[in-house]
Amino acid sequence: MTVSAPVRPLEQAASGPTPKPAKSNAVLEVEDLRVHYVTRFGHKIQAVDGVSFSLKQGEILGIAGESGCGKTTLVSGCMGLYIPPLFHTSGDVRIDGKSIVGMTLEQNRKEVLGQKIAMIPQGALNSLNPTRKIKDMAADMILSHDESADKKSINDRLRERFTRIGLDADHVLNSYPVELPAGTKQRCVIGISTLLNPKVVVADEPTSALDVSTQKAVIKLLFELMDQEIISSMLFITHELPLLRHVSSSIAVMYAGEFVEYGTTEQVIFEGRQPYSRALMGSMLSAEPGQKSRKPVAIEGAPPKLDKPIPGCRFAERCPVAQPDCRTTEQVLRIVAGRQVRCKYADTEVVEQVGGGL
Amino acid sequence: MLRKNPTLRHILGRAAWYFVTFLVAVTVNFFLPRLGDANPIDAILAKTNAGDSAGAREKEEAYLRQFGLAEVDAQGKVIRTADGKPVRTGLGKQFVSYLGLTLQGDLGTSFLQFPKPVSEIIKDALPWTLCLQLPTIIFGWLVGNLLGALAAYKRGVFDRIIYPLALLVSAVPAFCVGILMVYYFGIKLEWFPAVGGYDAGTTPALSSDFLSSAAYYYVMPFLSIFMIVVGGQSIGMRSMVIYELGTDYVKYAKLLGIKENKILLYTFRNAMLPQLTGLALALGAMVGGALITEIIFSYPGLGMAILTAIQGNDYPVITGCTLLITVCVLVANFSVDILVGLLDPRIRAAQAAESN
Amino acid sequence: MTDALKFQAKNISRVFGHGKKSVTAVDNVTFEIRDREIISLVGQSGCGKTVLAKMLLRLETPTSGELLFNGKPITATGDPRNHWRQVQAVFQDPFSCFNQFFTIRSQLKSSFRLFETKPSPGEIEERVDQALLAVNIKPKEVEGKYPFELSGGQMQRMLLARIFILKPQVLIADEPTSMVDACSRASILDYLLKLKEELSMTIVFVTHDIGLAYYISDSLYIMHKGKMVDRGAPDDVIKHPTSDVTKQLLEDIPDVHRQWIARGTPVHAAE
Repeated sequence: MTVSAPVRPLEQAASGPTPKPAKSNAVLEVEDLRVHYVTRFGHKIQAVDGVSFSLKQGEILGIAGESGCGKTTLVSGCMGLYIPPLFHTSGDVRIDGKSIVGMTLEQNRKEVLGQKIAMIPQGALNSLNPTRKIKDMAADMILSHDESADKKSINDRLRERFTRIGLDADHVLNSYPVELPAGTKQRCVIGISTLLNPKVVVADEPTSALDVSTQKAVIKLLFELMDQEIISSMLFITHELPLLRHVSSSIAVMYAGEFVEYGTTEQVIFEGRQPYSRALMGSMLSAEPGQKSRKPVAIEGAPPKLDKPIPGCRFAERCPVAQPDCRTTEQVLRIVAGRQVRCKYADTEVVEQVGGGL
Repeated sequence: MLRKNPTLRHILGRAAWYFVTFLVAVTVNFFLPRLGDANPIDAILAKTNAGDSAGAREKEEAYLRQFGLAEVDAQGKVIRTADGKPVRTGLGKQFVSYLGLTLQGDLGTSFLQFPKPVSEIIKDALPWTLCLQLPTIIFGWLVGNLLGALAAYKRGVFDRIIYPLALLVSAVPAFCVGILMVYYFGIKLEWFPAVGGYDAGTTPALSSDFLSSAAYYYVMPFLSIFMIVVGGQSIGMRSMVIYELGTDYVKYAKLLGIKENKILLYTFRNAMLPQLTGLALALGAMVGGALITEIIFSYPGLGMAILTAIQGNDYPVITGCTLLITVCVLVANFSVDILVGLLDPRIRAAQAAESN
Repeated sequence: MTDALKFQAKNISRVFGHGKKSVTAVDNVTFEIRDREIISLVGQSGCGKTVLAKMLLRLETPTSGELLFNGKPITATGDPRNHWRQVQAVFQDPFSCFNQFFTIRSQLKSSFRLFETKPSPGEIEERVDQALLAVNIKPKEVEGKYPFELSGGQMQRMLLARIFILKPQVLIADEPTSMVDACSRASILDYLLKLKEELSMTIVFVTHDIGLAYYISDSLYIMHKGKMVDRGAPDDVIKHPTSDVTKQLLEDIPDVHRQWIARGTPVHAAE
């Protein structure tokens, strides 16, 4: 493997699709989105605080951050799921040029969810209704968006699609989830999520809780579906930044409701300019000869609660290289070395002390 | 065929087990009341004794033959020992003849209400019990589940009223509710008759007089059971629906944009499965279940019949009633086994794996 | 590391069920665990590593074979509590290991109940404080807190604090990092190393991630379908894997790290 390997993933990249030239029209545009929720005690938590990005046709954007960083809330926001106690504060989300933030929940359900933006959930094994056959749940999904669909056309569609994703359609569609092995269930979930050819697929930690070999298989399947153009663009959410190396073309690292670094995969993974993203990389452990004595980076503590404004850098509290003025000066996203970074010392040697000394 | 059909194999396997259970129950049923010392014949004789010792002898002889309690010779005369005592038939022999008769559907003759057959006594009492229990359980189950599901789905004020009420009602013991009702509505307020199943002035028949009086007497026992069933069922259903609403598949269905109504159907259906088990078991236990209520309201059902029989050492009636209860419970359990397997693919898969 | 043996397993197996339905979770495994050694049991889900760990904890009994602890049969201590005074465990989900209705501190204090002689209340408080400091948590931080108020990483450290209190001879760590965020993972591993260094503990580390196992352990055992398919010093196993399973495990790890190392320290704000 050469150092300058192409960004496109895995070994089979050669046989895979050539990355489509990104069209200028973005399928998902998020503009200064702010989302908050209200706790039982009435505290307002600004879980997503001014996030902007755009996802182009054919692109995979990875969003990385630990639990509590706001990535799950960001996903809800992108899908227009503003169900109390979650509220839209300000900003806009446009899918295919159309804003979804002003919609009623019913309108959102009918026109957006599953249709334009679809989720591949974390726990695929428990995501299917245990007392419904695969075909019935899939049909429910189609009928919920298109009441006029008749039984025959639905059946044909399901068989065609399930065959295409490599399943024995007749057998699988007529089975209950409990009768299928885990891998098949995983495929079914991905198949159902993408039934209506959504513009954007959100994969929310689809591989966590799986062992490495199964992880690899799931990611391979996602690429297969991209090759077949069943999936066109994807948001891949994970807490394992290194994993994105093989998945996405660009990466946003999220911390305390904000993007702290947003650039191409190469930039963020190999030349991170922000202490947090560098720490996420440095915390990785792998079985490489001679690396046994390398100390992984450990960041203790947890992300801040966000129930009150934090003066200065939000990561300063845990930052291994925090400087005295970090806690007082508010940080903004700025361009350093070709990517967006939120760190006052992004362009200095200070950040290189994190995860450095390899 | 069995090899290919795990469901059928499971059903047959269960059926065999239930048959064994039935035989054990029948045996216990027979021996348990007979472990005591009491001699039922003495009790009957004491009640009917006219003082004439020859007549008493004759009567005793008749009873002993009738009940198969003593050995008889070729002429049908009871064999007696030197001091005149009848030679008792061994319990084993009694059991064999009991088993034979039972399997033919003959439950014997009552000691107390001689010569009324046990089946007759059951036939008189059973309709009362069924009329009291069947509607109560079914209505109570329906209403309870509906309220529970609503409370879980709507939450808010609705839940905050229903849930504590249900907890309260289901926590109060049945006899307590019954006694309080008898006291307040029966004796203090005199809204409803305190005891009995119908007006003493009427006789059980399909007359409007009798039916209206029976309906009037019906209200209090009905309500006392109904409230408890509703309370218990709604608590169970509420927590099941809350659990189902929080499952991964519901969250996923929402994210797929599946209609709210569909998702509610998913959750209700899945929450109902354990509740159905409860219903079937309640129906099985129904026959013997309202004993206390019947006793409190002196309702002429099976419960009262059992109580009278126990007080009078009326073995055949006790055995007959308990046998009926046993059979009902076994049938209910068996149907739950089959029903749940048919309705829930998860359980079907487990059953198939188990009988593999 | 000394030559004394903590555990010796001779041809142990664990079979569940019987007849045609039986499943062999651990299949005729022989191994030794030396004193003050960290060994790792690595394998995919369902390879039998957890069942093996449970046998060391006396939560499962081998169906055949001999399992010795400190040279004596593992059941020689009689009451399992005697065994648990010497062999303790931390598990995957720290939240399920704590009672949600009691404060963390009171639960840490109650772990003294395992001791035959309970120290004085004052000493208990002091030792809880020490244990919290050992896992880098200021006692004030968790004062009056309930489990749900802490993060997964913090709760996992509470489990480890319990180990610092109990000071067993052996610690079984079953996937202690799998529910912990990437950045807290390294610190959990470092506490395990600290337990070994400071308290001379022998540690059995169960994981599906060969990278973690490589970092932390003195010996690696690769398991597959109940058998041990590869074993040895970490560097030997990594450099010369003898089994296809090991090769597959190594291959399935994202190769980011190799490239990351190759690049060395990232270039300074390249313009």
